[in-house]
Amino acid sequence: MRGKNLDTLNDYSKDKKILRFDFLLFFLVIAISSFGLLIIYSATRETMPGGVSDPAYYLKRQAIYLAVGVFLCIAIQFVNYRIIKRYWWLFFATGIILLLSVLIFGFEVNGCKSWIDLKFTTIQPSEFSKIFMVISLAAVMSKWRSEKVCQVTFKKVAISLAIALSFMAFVLLEPDYGTVLIYFCVYIGMLFLSGASFLYIFLILGMAAGGVIFALNSGLIKQYQLDRILVFLKPDAQPTEGSGYSLYQSKLAIGSGGLTGKGLFLGKQTNLNYVPEHHTDFIFSVIGEELGFLGAIIVIIILGVIVWRCFYIALNSSDNFAMLLSSGIGLIILTQMTINIGMTIGIMPIIGIPLPFLSSGGSSLISILIGIGLVENVSVWREVRKEHEIAYQDLR
Amino acid sequence: MGSNIKIRFRILLYLLIIVLIVIALRLYFLQVMSGNLYAELATQNITREKTIPASRGDIYDRNGKLLVKSVPVKAVAVQPYVVIDNEEVMEILSDRLDIPYSQLKEKLKKANVSYIERVIIKQNIDKAEMTYIEENSNKLPGVEVIDIYLRQYNYGVLASHVLGHIGEIDETRLKSEEYKNNYEGGDLIGWGGVEEAYESILRGRKGKVIYEVDPLGRPVSVLDKTEPLKGNDLYLTIDIDLQRAVEEILYQSILEVRQKKISNTNEYYNVPGGAVVVLSADNGQILAMASYPTYSQELFTGGISKKDMDFLKDPENHQPQINRAVNPYPPGSTIKIVPAYAGLAEGIITESSRISCAGIWLGLGRDYPKKCWQRYGHGSLSLVGAIKNSCDIYFYNVGLGLYNKNNNIDELLQKYLRIFGFGSLTGSGLPEEYSGRVPDKEWKEDYFKGQKGYTVWFPGDTVNMAIGQGDLLVTPLQMAQAFSIIANRGIKYTPHLCKEIIDSEGAVLTDESVAGFEDLNLNENFIGTIEKGLIEVLAPGGTGYSVFSDFPLSSIPIAAKTGTAEFLGKQDYGWFASYAPAGNPEYVVVAMLEEGGSGGSNVGPLVKNIYKYLFDIK
Repeated sequence: MRGKNLDTLNDYSKDKKILRFDFLLFFLVIAISSFGLLIIYSATRETMPGGVSDPAYYLKRQAIYLAVGVFLCIAIQFVNYRIIKRYWWLFFATGIILLLSVLIFGFEVNGCKSWIDLKFTTIQPSEFSKIFMVISLAAVMSKWRSEKVCQVTFKKVAISLAIALSFMAFVLLEPDYGTVLIYFCVYIGMLFLSGASFLYIFLILGMAAGGVIFALNSGLIKQYQLDRILVFLKPDAQPTEGSGYSLYQSKLAIGSGGLTGKGLFLGKQTNLNYVPEHHTDFIFSVIGEELGFLGAIIVIIILGVIVWRCFYIALNSSDNFAMLLSSGIGLIILTQMTINIGMTIGIMPIIGIPLPFLSSGGSSLISILIGIGLVENVSVWREVRKEHEIAYQDLR
Repeated sequence: MGSNIKIRFRILLYLLIIVLIVIALRLYFLQVMSGNLYAELATQNITREKTIPASRGDIYDRNGKLLVKSVPVKAVAVQPYVVIDNEEVMEILSDRLDIPYSQLKEKLKKANVSYIERVIIKQNIDKAEMTYIEENSNKLPGVEVIDIYLRQYNYGVLASHVLGHIGEIDETRLKSEEYKNNYEGGDLIGWGGVEEAYESILRGRKGKVIYEVDPLGRPVSVLDKTEPLKGNDLYLTIDIDLQRAVEEILYQSILEVRQKKISNTNEYYNVPGGAVVVLSADNGQILAMASYPTYSQELFTGGISKKDMDFLKDPENHQPQINRAVNPYPPGSTIKIVPAYAGLAEGIITESSRISCAGIWLGLGRDYPKKCWQRYGHGSLSLVGAIKNSCDIYFYNVGLGLYNKNNNIDELLQKYLRIFGFGSLTGSGLPEEYSGRVPDKEWKEDYFKGQKGYTVWFPGDTVNMAIGQGDLLVTPLQMAQAFSIIANRGIKYTPHLCKEIIDSEGAVLTDESVAGFEDLNLNENFIGTIEKGLIEVLAPGGTGYSVFSDFPLSSIPIAAKTGTAEFLGKQDYGWFASYAPAGNPEYVVVAMLEEGGSGGSNVGPLVKNIYKYLFDIK
């Protein structure tokens, strides 16, 4: 019985596994990431941030990251995600160790200790930990061995909260409030999709609100920091420095792009270095300026379809873990694109987080490609039988 | 998957769609609806515009000698509203540019109150100052180094009144109709003399550069550039060598007269100032125009200091900035050529009619006796004799006759004074020029408004005016013009300073401001009689004889009139107006010394020396 089941599984997968790979998702991801290379080149060829001397420096670097990311994305397909579920605690531990090491070995950029220098490259562990948190949360929220059917009980919520809090605590220490916000949104989203009672969700939201109020009152977050984040609430201010300046310059860049944009490589605001961080956090202002409304709409539609594809694969997955894993990745992309793009057009707080697939930077690109690899894995290792039909031991 | 989960997925899907729609709407608002606005803001954000000053045209004398030249220098300009509240910048500027802090503050405050965009705080900075400011531009917001053109005066103080100087445009002008379209704060414009009169000719056309800057304001590329166009060169009618001779003679004469005592007193002549005008008789060109005391335009180069300004304004120094050649004074007897002509033209006198002078005249009644300057009287005189002797009583009679004709309804004396150019600007274009004053009924009523008994025009007013006294005021230039009318038998030339305008490409432009000449249709016989009298002035017995006894009048006859004007509370003002050679006039020379006493004996030598120079007599 046991052997037969396995055989069936293997036979099935031998025939169709390759077909179950989601080519639409993969194609869109490759397309938008390649497009990202072009935009990064456009954003850096004139200004060459960081004092590099090669106009194509950031293009070449990003191309290598993309290659590494795509390789990892495909390599993951050879491992059944169920193995990942079983050893989730390994990923949990790795994530925490990464975040811990950044506090010990990390160096500061803009007042945030979120980078580790590996000599040949630098990494931002909080980007990778995001994926590890999703894996850990998906694992603890899904069906436990002792359960007949998956139920998100108080115990599961408590464990998941503990996991999420331990990740967030380390990132808070850096301190990288933007990334914490992403972690939190992803956690709430996953809790919501796991089927947890709204009571727990509201309870956690309330706790978070209380925490923020406490932090404000106790002076952990200074008023000026809050002002900086909430500058988008004061439209059309023309400050000469700080985040208000970034926002104003970003809006000028995007607005002046008009319907069809100024043309690739022709963005003045960008090329003259008016928009700060235009190759990383503010990459969307380059798109808006050079490709206009039409180009920007195409980009957000592609990102939207990628998110939808992640949810679609989640809905059609064969178990709770797969569903939560895939939708967790989708949630990462959704929250980051909403906050990042919203920030550049003045409807979201100014928080330094990258735009998935498009912002220059290896950690962000490679980690999100690993995430996409996991989503594809869920699709590839999908099981035709329902979860309760598969004995857990099948995989032993 | 349970249906509960599916619903939750659907909710999340809706959330995704809402997010996409909100972003799309916001992008539509920013890029499509407000795209043009943001494009404009972005352009303003990136581009800067800067004017490039044009080199001012040079000024030459009539023989092509370069008098005033433009030289490019660097200057520091600031935006008052940016700098004034920035203590640190103010202190750096004061310290580095060596300007007293209070002075800098005051200048900027003044400019800031009047919303001037840019003021020059120091002209002609040296290399070290320039380098410092350019290298520290990020520390000095609102401060910039600009190119300006200053003036170099090749002949020092010579003709300073005629030339004028250049200086920074002031608030009043900046807001005036004439200036506001072509100028901005910090521009240097002509102040006084031909610099101001020919401002539009000399100034050239500013260039403009539009360039892109990076966020620190450093220029990165030039988008558009219009080169400045050098102003036109101005060739004056002035002969600088003659000007030098005239100024030296004027100065020497003043020193000599100051050595003289007023007769019958122990008082010396003050002679605080004087003026000379030399015209080319047959076209109105001003060959020389001197005014003493003089000043150096160099004081204004690079901005005048407060000390220098105080010196120029101090009454003790007799206001050297005044161009006395176009300043109004009582003319005394030199004016008599006009009542002489008016009397003949209106039939009050004829060439042969004689009037007896007994030293005292009772034409206005016994209660108002009037005297001749020659208290023993001149006896019986014709018009020629009256001019020769400058007999006041003869002209009292003429004045009264003009007054009585038709009950003074036509104000005949005033009418002829105006025909001869008095009471209005000559058209020289000099901004300092006064029109003088030809008083009449209307003027008197207005001038003494509210003072009962003073507003009525009396016959005595006309009588006084006939000998150049009373409220009549004329400028030496007007007097020169009037004598040139006699010299030219009724042709009135506009005295002018511009001989030629040559643009930056070498083309000759016409000066449209010069009116040319006007035929006054005067009676040549009457003028001939007056000229006869004027020639007699220097003949034995005439008022100017003693001074000109050593001058070859037989070969170069001079028509002249002396004048000694009384001025309430001051010493007499001496005049000497003339032209030569009579009959074939080449030059008109008029000189005036403030508080210089007798026109004949004190001003006469001055004019004689000028003629000696003009006709090269040793």
